[in-house]
Amino acid sequence: MSRFLFVVPPLVGHINPTIGVAARLKADGHEVGWVGPTAALAALFDVNAAFLPSDRPLPEFQVAGRPPQLRGFASLKFLWEEFLVPLADTMVALVDAAVDEFRPDALLVDQQALAGALVAERRDIPWATSATTSAELLQPLAEMPKVAAWLDDLLAGLRQRHGSPTATHDLRFSPHGVLAFSTEELVGPVDGKIVFVGPSINARPDSTSLPELDGRPVVLVSLGTANAEAGEKFLRTAIEALAEMPDYQGVVVDPTGEVTDVRRVPQLALLPRCAVVVCHAGHNTVCETLSHGVPLVVAPIRDDQPIVAQQVVDAGAGVRVRFGRVTADQLRAAITEALDHAEGARRIQRSFASAGGAGAAANWLSELAATRTSGLKR
Amino acid sequence: MTTTEASRDVVFAEIAGMLRTVLAELGVDDVEIDEGTSFNEDLELESIDLVTLTALISERWGEPVNLAEFLADKDLDEVIALKVGDLVDFVVTALARAGG
Repeated sequence: MSRFLFVVPPLVGHINPTIGVAARLKADGHEVGWVGPTAALAALFDVNAAFLPSDRPLPEFQVAGRPPQLRGFASLKFLWEEFLVPLADTMVALVDAAVDEFRPDALLVDQQALAGALVAERRDIPWATSATTSAELLQPLAEMPKVAAWLDDLLAGLRQRHGSPTATHDLRFSPHGVLAFSTEELVGPVDGKIVFVGPSINARPDSTSLPELDGRPVVLVSLGTANAEAGEKFLRTAIEALAEMPDYQGVVVDPTGEVTDVRRVPQLALLPRCAVVVCHAGHNTVCETLSHGVPLVVAPIRDDQPIVAQQVVDAGAGVRVRFGRVTADQLRAAITEALDHAEGARRIQRSFASAGGAGAAANWLSELAATRTSGLKR
Repeated sequence: MTTTEASRDVVFAEIAGMLRTVLAELGVDDVEIDEGTSFNEDLELESIDLVTLTALISERWGEPVNLAEFLADKDLDEVIALKVGDLVDFVVTALARAGG
């Protein structure tokens, strides 16, 4: 049996898919420890989860809040310079302490928790990348070498400060392999050592009750957990669009409570009732929706979302609209058009069902740990 | 009006048309575009939209106007600051160089 250290950023969407993988590993008799979750995120885990290092309280990372109006390349710059690189600098000491205490046979490192990649290469421990979103797999900066060079410089700086001077791989892609929680049917062809396992959707505890449903097919509008500040205008537009669609019941989720009083919904329980889901193209919401064969209207805001949105459109599983600019008439037309994309959504649903999910990821990881040679320095 | 100004107006109109095509595919058909309009902040164009625009430009003007090369030469801050007028400048210059 092996010990696995999961290194994650303090981001719900990046943690959720790995929780199911950890559960499968533990069910198979392995041990799993976590580094990266903050106190605020502890509720995502079961009560027996082992947070490391165990001799101190869960961290509270001091990170700059991202201005909600940032988009596109301005947002990319902020994400890396103000969030991911400082996060890695801060987390390295925690990962080192966790490795000292837990002595893992392998690490699973989120693509945005680079501290795990740095410690693994420096201490020569096998590690896999966890690509909880599939956007990076498509190398979106390939056409812009000067922008790619900016990112390469940031990564090289991290390696110089914390990594192995002899390593040459891209820190975002483990040479041992990259677990991708999607399928090639949705992502399209990619290069590299990518292991597509499909979405890992755990039956997470959710005490939220369903909103009152009246029997009409539901159009669910949700911008996920990370976009409340930027979303008010979009949600108001959605309400206006749905007001003139009497055949459907609109459920508009607003975590702030400013626009509707539906602050949360049990998304997995609600999806079987949905005809269309309107969302920000966050990877997890998209995967959960397509796992139910429900087509999408995607209004990407930033980060990986424009790329995930394009995957949905290319797969024939939905329609893209402009988050900041769409009008009620346009959104209504997009929802109507999306209803015709159910077959594309069901095609992705079938690919997800056959990919193996968390179980396939757990099996692949246990093989990675088992094939580890005994001569590695620790 | 000089020849250069005339062709600059034509290029601007064509590029604005292409941008409207890209935006229309995204359900946006009511946007004001002038030379000071920013790709990132005003139009909210993402890198994948620039790929579409590159294809439209190459369809219209062919070999001499290579937007991919233009973008390849930009660093991150230049990409963030990119305005419609910069693209018009580039196309006008490229066409002039090609003798067009």
